[in-house]
Amino acid sequence: MKYNYYDLIVAGTGFASTFFLKKYLDKNKGGKRVLVLEKGQLFPHAERLKIKRGEHSDFSGINDVWEEKVININKEKKWPFTTGFGGSSNCWWGCTPRFMPSDFKMKTLFGVENDWPVSYEELDPYYEEAEVLMSISGPEGTPFPRKGKYPLPPHTFTAVDKILHQKYGNLYISQPTARASRAVQGGRNACMTHSACDVCAVDAKFTIENSNINVYNNEQVELVYGAEVYSLETVGNVAKKVNYVKDGKDFQISGEVIILGANPIFNANILLNSGDKNPFTGKGFGEQLGMQVLIYLDNMNNKGGSTWVNANGYMLYDGDHRKDYAACLIEVNNAPYNIRLERGKWLNMASFRMIFEDLPLLTNYITTSANKLVPEIHFKGRSDYAIKGVENMKKVLPGILSCLPVEKLKYLDPFPNEGHIIGGTRMGQSAADSVVDKNMIHHQYRNVFVLGSGSFTTFSASNPTLTLAALSLYSADHSF
Amino acid sequence: MKRRQFIVMAGIGTGLLILPPALYIASPSLRKYAGKLIREELQYLKLEPAGVDQYVNDYFNTSANNAMTNLRWKAFYYLGVNAERSGQIFELIKFYLLSTDFFIHKMDESKTVNYLGFYSPYKSPVPNPYSFLLYPQTD
Repeated sequence: MKYNYYDLIVAGTGFASTFFLKKYLDKNKGGKRVLVLEKGQLFPHAERLKIKRGEHSDFSGINDVWEEKVININKEKKWPFTTGFGGSSNCWWGCTPRFMPSDFKMKTLFGVENDWPVSYEELDPYYEEAEVLMSISGPEGTPFPRKGKYPLPPHTFTAVDKILHQKYGNLYISQPTARASRAVQGGRNACMTHSACDVCAVDAKFTIENSNINVYNNEQVELVYGAEVYSLETVGNVAKKVNYVKDGKDFQISGEVIILGANPIFNANILLNSGDKNPFTGKGFGEQLGMQVLIYLDNMNNKGGSTWVNANGYMLYDGDHRKDYAACLIEVNNAPYNIRLERGKWLNMASFRMIFEDLPLLTNYITTSANKLVPEIHFKGRSDYAIKGVENMKKVLPGILSCLPVEKLKYLDPFPNEGHIIGGTRMGQSAADSVVDKNMIHHQYRNVFVLGSGSFTTFSASNPTLTLAALSLYSADHSF
Repeated sequence: MKRRQFIVMAGIGTGLLILPPALYIASPSLRKYAGKLIREELQYLKLEPAGVDQYVNDYFNTSANNAMTNLRWKAFYYLGVNAERSGQIFELIKFYLLSTDFFIHKMDESKTVNYLGFYSPYKSPVPNPYSFLLYPQTD
């Protein structure tokens, strides 16, 4: 370490930390001491590509197996994540719809769970800033309020998309996405529809590595790899030191402000290891429920589309039904290639992924384990609210698709994961209902920020990354 | 339940096979049956013969290549299982087509289907068969 005391100590280099640091450094142009402790290593995209191609890479020995980093009690439920520089930006699919305004007011509008302490209107300018930083491709009209054009034009509709957009207007749109529809100045290429979004074959997807946000090469920032933060040393209601392991040895470092930007599982583990007694810490953990529907089309092919998630449908999202059952976001998939092996019907198919919001149940939670570095995940199951949403979808989807020549629908089993880990350090008005406040500052430890989707008050049906990035920008802007 | 149906359900559904040993010991080449399945399923297409064999070799060289895998493919052929009934046959044939110029030629049945190399999104010249790269927007 360069110093023995830092103005800011940050755990993690994923979306939450990076967007927070972006705003923090914009507002602090010099003289700050910022230490970033990254659990993993830099695993460059170019090296990931070599491995995908079956070529030699010096990085092939990197351990990025999520199952070895947590104790997952319910083996049927999966929680894949990536550690290392850039966090889950290395494996995300780049889906960036905003949340709907109603997602922030679930209690007021539907009597479900709690309202968020921050509103859509307050987040709006930070959504826009995040969309610019990620060079999002998207349409002019959206179901959520939004001014102006997205930085890049939308991806191309399929034949099915065109019909559904004509019928449902802005409730059926080209998906806003960080998979670039055009080459981006500074290095990202245009999406070539390879259907390999986890490690994009042409580096079209936004990652922290290709972002050009330039926070980790800022002269105020010192980045240390292989530093696994596991707890904070607190005195009264103030966190004084960060405890971490590097190369098998324990270390401590002192700081003024502590930023927890690990994923929700590890943020909760750090707080619980620190003696945090908030009754909600680690609780209400989970994610959305996803399942696939294959739509067999009669005498109609579905060609002409673009990227993996080509469109979003909001026909099952908002409305009074959310008093009783979950909102559903439709992700319209142009991959993997669900071709039909029937003569002349090769491309007569559409594929929808239906994503349902779930509730932050207290029966789903994170605890510590005997190993301070390894959290334990307890997931008992889905809420009735989400299950009822699935049942309703099956009843009404045929009617929604009545404008298409549907031959048959085939519902596949729900996926064991959605890749949207949420909850465990929820946001609210006070310690009586939550762990952090609207700026994601811990209610008790007022110099500790707990960033990321762990802070979401409710889950929404929309992909979480853009919202957690906007929340990081909002928090840093309002706190410094 | 007929015995044939039982064998299909018990053997292929669970990955276990109940077959007389002579059935596979006498065969000249176990991989041959996978090729036969492709040719039968796509009998209305003009498949470049050597390309099918090369694909099958590449397919089994890149997937689990063991006795049980080979037995399974032989059973598929002898028991008359087709792509509609087996996810594994579906995948075999789907990846065969993705590994050829069939979609590049926009599914033109009059053209010979040539093998281009085992499909990989990181290596292959074949784009997403649905994509605008093959079907540019005209409106």
